[in-house]
Amino acid sequence: MSATIIDLSLWDLVTAYSLLLMSIGLAHLLKAGQSKDLFWSGLRMFVQLLVVGYVLHLIFALKTALPVLLILIVMVGFAVQTIGARMKMKMPHFYRVVGTAILFGCGVMTFFFCSLVIGLEPWYDPRYLIPLAGMIIGNSMTGASLAVERLAAEFRERQDEIETALCLGGSIQTVSEPAVSSAFRAALIPSVNAMAAMGLVFLPGMMTGQIISGTEPLIAVKYQIAIMCAITGSVSLTTFLILRLGYRAYFTSYQSLREGC
Amino acid sequence: MSRIVPFLEARKVTVSRPIEEGRLQRVLLGITLGVDEGEILAVVGPSGSGKSTLLRLFNHLLEPDNGEVLLAGKNIQTIDPPTLRARIPLVAQKPFLFSGTVLDNLQASARLRQTQLPDFNDSALQELLELCQVSPSWLDRDARKLSIGQQQRVCLVRSLAGPCQALLLDEPTSALDRPTADLMAKTFREIARQKNLAIILVTHDLRLTERCSDRVALLIDGSVIEDGATSQILNNPTTESARTFLLSETSENRETPG
Repeated sequence: MSATIIDLSLWDLVTAYSLLLMSIGLAHLLKAGQSKDLFWSGLRMFVQLLVVGYVLHLIFALKTALPVLLILIVMVGFAVQTIGARMKMKMPHFYRVVGTAILFGCGVMTFFFCSLVIGLEPWYDPRYLIPLAGMIIGNSMTGASLAVERLAAEFRERQDEIETALCLGGSIQTVSEPAVSSAFRAALIPSVNAMAAMGLVFLPGMMTGQIISGTEPLIAVKYQIAIMCAITGSVSLTTFLILRLGYRAYFTSYQSLREGC
Repeated sequence: MSRIVPFLEARKVTVSRPIEEGRLQRVLLGITLGVDEGEILAVVGPSGSGKSTLLRLFNHLLEPDNGEVLLAGKNIQTIDPPTLRARIPLVAQKPFLFSGTVLDNLQASARLRQTQLPDFNDSALQELLELCQVSPSWLDRDARKLSIGQQQRVCLVRSLAGPCQALLLDEPTSALDRPTADLMAKTFREIARQKNLAIILVTHDLRLTERCSDRVALLIDGSVIEDGATSQILNNPTTESARTFLLSETSENRETPG
């Protein structure tokens, strides 16, 4: 199948933006109070993606590992920052716990996937590594924020239960088990749902993108399956690390519940 | 009575808590207090006097800023906290039972303490149920559907079904009516006597104190102002603040019949 890509002109983009104007109009009509948010988000998207487009263009041309790694680190930084901004109540040592977990979880999974599954040559080929790492980090970020949020809620709701179990002689690991497993389940729900509905309810983004850019559908499908496995693996690993490091943060050094968590 | 080394003792403990940014409130001011095996010590005092904070020091749920807590002469900070708490369980003011039956609760407790799971036909369990006045027919009932008094008794059995050396009770009768509270007082006495346990009881219920404790420590504003035999403290307090507190509590109890 020959790749005939339809480029979009500036006018085409303006036409697309008219759809956003329609959304703003509808929000205004229903007094949803979202017109401003929609406008600014639309503008941010335009500027951010344009900058990313130019940066990627530059990095693809450079063909060296360092800028690729820098981009990945910036992505992890933004992911941690985004989760932090979203959380109303942060667990103790939040940035250290979440930063370590995302860096390690996503790092291990991205390099496992790129080197062992795809066999990238060179290993840092930005055309593959950056978008794949982006998908892995983005999904892990969603999983991590769900896990952190649920863990905090569980510790709040189960305070009496946890304290009772501590008072009977339970270790912090044992008394946290129900909260930790509930948080892990919450983090994995999007991945489970996405895999189950894939192909039936929606065609996933990467596969659609590959097909539009001229890739043979069966190749696109194989890539999609592989990346979904990597995403689920990364969400699990990141969440596991966050929970393993994170539950301890709710306890003092002498194994009692910290106050005000 | 000369008291050389009590079985469980807080020695010169001081606790402060942050109240607002940069400011600390001193909750306990260098308290020394101990209890022997088979003895019930009631710690009484007005709300906010630091009773519950003091109780939480004894099973290392809190750590003192200064001073130490000793179990049989050994600083409890040298004991692994889960091991310590299995030996010195604390029964909270509001009974909390895990979901499931009463037996599930006993089994959950055994799992937490890594001891043997109790058996229905176990004679030690039967004795314990009898001691705490828990009917064996409750074992397969939904624990959370029992009355508050029954739940409090199940909490007692759950705490005692293990390698218990002392027992900490935080306002154990505050949610109970008078006759049930009186029965509880009897149960605490029996537990201390039969199991030779050191019991520390935090309460502002003077009737409970009178009915079950051997000794009373009166805690006001973070300091022990009286410590001695129950009858002596309740009938002949030596300090003015003790007299005022006891008088106010007695009149309050008279105003709330039942």
